Amino acid sequence: MSSTEPSQNKTWELSLYELHRTSQEVITDATEIAVSPRSLHSELMCPICLDMLKKTMTTKECLHRFCNDCIITALRSGNKECPTCRKKLVSKRSLRPDPNFDLLISKIYPSRDEYEAHQERVLAKLSMSHSQASLVNSITEGIKLQSQNRPQRSRKNQEENTNTPNANGIAETPTQNGGGTVPAPKDGTSSTGNPTPSVQSTSNPASVRSTPSPVPSNLSSVSKNTSTTKRAKSILTSERSEESESSDGRTEGENSMDTEGEGEPLNPNEIELVFKPHPTEMTGDNHLMRALRDSSVRYLKTTANASVDHLSKYLAMRLTLDLDAELPEAYRLLNFCIYVAPAPGQFVPLAGSQTLRQINDKFWKVNKPLEMYYSWKKT
Amino acid sequence: MAQNINPHYASSSNPAKQNEDTIKLKDNHAVSKRLQKELMELMRCADKGISAFPESENLFKWIGTINGPQETVYAGHKYKLSLEFPNSYPYAPPMVKFITPCFHPNVDTCGLICLDILKDKWTALYDVRTILLSIQSLLAEPNTHSPLNQQASYLWSNQPAYKKYLDEFYNKHRDS
Repeated sequence: MSSTEPSQNKTWELSLYELHRTSQEVITDATEIAVSPRSLHSELMCPICLDMLKKTMTTKECLHRFCNDCIITALRSGNKECPTCRKKLVSKRSLRPDPNFDLLISKIYPSRDEYEAHQERVLAKLSMSHSQASLVNSITEGIKLQSQNRPQRSRKNQEENTNTPNANGIAETPTQNGGGTVPAPKDGTSSTGNPTPSVQSTSNPASVRSTPSPVPSNLSSVSKNTSTTKRAKSILTSERSEESESSDGRTEGENSMDTEGEGEPLNPNEIELVFKPHPTEMTGDNHLMRALRDSSVRYLKTTANASVDHLSKYLAMRLTLDLDAELPEAYRLLNFCIYVAPAPGQFVPLAGSQTLRQINDKFWKVNKPLEMYYSWKKT
Repeated sequence: MAQNINPHYASSSNPAKQNEDTIKLKDNHAVSKRLQKELMELMRCADKGISAFPESENLFKWIGTINGPQETVYAGHKYKLSLEFPNSYPYAPPMVKFITPCFHPNVDTCGLICLDILKDKWTALYDVRTILLSIQSLLAEPNTHSPLNQQASYLWSNQPAYKKYLDEFYNKHRDS
């Protein structure tokens, strides 16, 4: 009531869009409109915390939405203006709650709380293992190297890391990663380690950010979910150009990090690979194999600077998280031996310090995902 | 009297303090979450000419890189910056400084940058990406009216001379 009255003396400034837009027909029949997870995400996201809106508040004049907590803190911390468009926001009274929007979100993501709780648990688990620090560290070094092509300068930045000798003598891509790093499962956790329905994981933006460390976008894994695996297989076997290698079809419906990558060509610094159990060393009566079942084949896309050590640690973490309860204690923190198969039936064991780029250049010249095999070994 | 007040004081202040601590912890967690989210986004779709990554395991300090914008005197140059995020991020801007010495009308000799969005024009919607993009465009379009570096501001109108001086400056200092 009181909010509409003063508006009568106001001059509304309409944007060009507002002046020219045509009204949309209301849908009354059973028509369904597909919305990509990515655009859905941006609609339901609070631009301040980048999480899904919680207790939505809408600005009365400019109609921008924020979480209640976020906008209140923003107003308290100084600028009395809309964080999105700088329109004047005098106080809390320039905002109204938007319960309809909250309802909308709870309809789309019915088990959001459960999902977030799960994410928190995963986060806690991982931060305990200190994987984050070392992972971030190793990726930092990788990025430094990528950004500095001059070999001289990159050497300068390596002080604290034991630089592994470069087998191939490729000056541009020295491996930076000593043995101590433990790559955490990252975004993979939001897909595979997730007990909630897959709708939930499809595009729950909240989930992704609560994963503990920031690698997800380039260390993504697709597995477990049989349907996805099948889809991935069909894509992997079909011929495609470098451009068509988007993560699109591969991960659709799996997690938002991947789906958000729709249509983007594969970065030349990234390598796609398929991980399969070693056909002879990982035989069917193996405890681990039984526990793995259909998640034994893994598809990954990661930075070409990742080393075999990284992969093996990633795999160990990934499997431990996925299998969790099913996995006997003795099989936790597994050690893997990793092989590449340049020809059918030929398995070449790989040294921990080799990077994917080196392996790719040495063994795998064809333009399709690198095929690698893992086998579990007792320490 | 004192006996009455003291226990009361102690019992009321203790929980309050605890509360404050948990709030702080929670906030810190929210800040890390947002920074992680930004990092993911940055790594997922890398913009041309800018990059950023946490310096070490501390998510609150990042190192950013900006390539000098094409078709400007800064083309071909590469500048490193440090970004330090306060616990009040994103409600308060990060502290951004050039690490690579930068000869520019709005950058002082310590690398401090005079840019409104890093001060009073900050809003919680800015992020690492937009900050770096803003600084990149500041390189191309300095504000010569309120310079931090008088010499650069004065020289700016003479682009060939500016370019010559800038290149010498850059080559001399880029590794320091």
